[in-house]
Amino acid sequence: MGVQSLAQPKIEKEHRPGRINKAKVLYVLAGLPVVAILAFAIFRPIRVLPRIDLAPSYVFTDQDGQRFSSEDMRAKIVLYNFAYTHCGAACDDTFQVMRDVQARLGELDPESPEVHMVTISLDPERDGPEQLRAYAAQVGGGDNWHFITGPPQQLKNVVGGGFELFYESAEDGSIRFQPTLLLVDGWNILRAEYRGDLPTSEEMFEDVDLLATEAVKSKGVSRFAYEAAHLFLCYP
Amino acid sequence: MHIDRYEQIWIRISVAVLVIFMIGIVVAGWSLSIQVPGVYGRVDPNTVTEPGSPWAEPGLRELAPGKYEAYILAQIWTFVPGEIRVPAGSEVTFYVTSKDVQHGFRIQDTNLSFMVLPGQISKMTHRFEEPGEYVFVCHEYCGVGHHTMAGKLIVEEAVASNQ
Repeated sequence: MGVQSLAQPKIEKEHRPGRINKAKVLYVLAGLPVVAILAFAIFRPIRVLPRIDLAPSYVFTDQDGQRFSSEDMRAKIVLYNFAYTHCGAACDDTFQVMRDVQARLGELDPESPEVHMVTISLDPERDGPEQLRAYAAQVGGGDNWHFITGPPQQLKNVVGGGFELFYESAEDGSIRFQPTLLLVDGWNILRAEYRGDLPTSEEMFEDVDLLATEAVKSKGVSRFAYEAAHLFLCYP
Repeated sequence: MHIDRYEQIWIRISVAVLVIFMIGIVVAGWSLSIQVPGVYGRVDPNTVTEPGSPWAEPGLRELAPGKYEAYILAQIWTFVPGEIRVPAGSEVTFYVTSKDVQHGFRIQDTNLSFMVLPGQISKMTHRFEEPGEYVFVCHEYCGVGHHTMAGKLIVEEAVASNQ
């Protein structure tokens, strides 16, 4: 034994029974997080909606003639669409999706933030509070559904510049624009956008549900798990 | 396990170089706000020019004062439209797609450069501060007329408004 250990002292030392090999422990400790991160990125146990961009801030007027601003919608989930009261059947598609989503809001987690619907009228010249109230009754807006509009120039800056929806008036009094649905979270961040290519009511509700679930669950330690889901692009 | 001392040193150096470059890329990516072109959306190349599609009448649209979006259709061997004019200081978001084969889109003297694939929408935003002529070219070989495929974006001196 003595002779052997003199000849190969290192090997003898590492193979001594009952002694923990420090290097191996280190490798395992370093490897575990890597494996965990890879597994998280591949299996995506948590799904989130992407944080696309900041939504614009605005101060407009609602169907009751009251001041209505984006700050009123803080900490609430908001589903936006765009229309105008003379639009007729051309605007029906987005309203249908919003009505269906609104009817199913009871299925969300009871602790989830309030979900509001906001319809922005692109025709402030003709759409005053009265017209918007009548329109709300017609398209089926219930509680938590706001019909708002503002001065033309501000509207252009908010809807065109902020929400990036192009619209222009045609000669026959109609307004040309792509039917659009936008989902904004409680931090006023745009989380889902459907431009032209509209989702089914089911898909839209799933987006709202994902957002509500994230708002309820990403508290305390699990907040880090949700941030990791954002970092690794765990999108649906 | 016995590793020669010099080999150990070199292993450490090579790992350190990897870590340093990785950190460098991440820091540069954030601080220089590098935009990585990704898949923004999809569109059917067969119906891309039919009414209802924004590429039916490609061109520049003013979203709001100083903010534009440009829908550009790439096809063999031209960009539609071939000339775009914006005032200096405006922010332009480009939505580019191809009707036929793979093309490229690169605006000289800017950070804008991406591939244009049929069926996919490439999106990128740039603010043009300096007046002048910016040539945009196709930089993915797309056929015999590839070298003629170019257009220009003209940034005009902003009209003096003292308000």
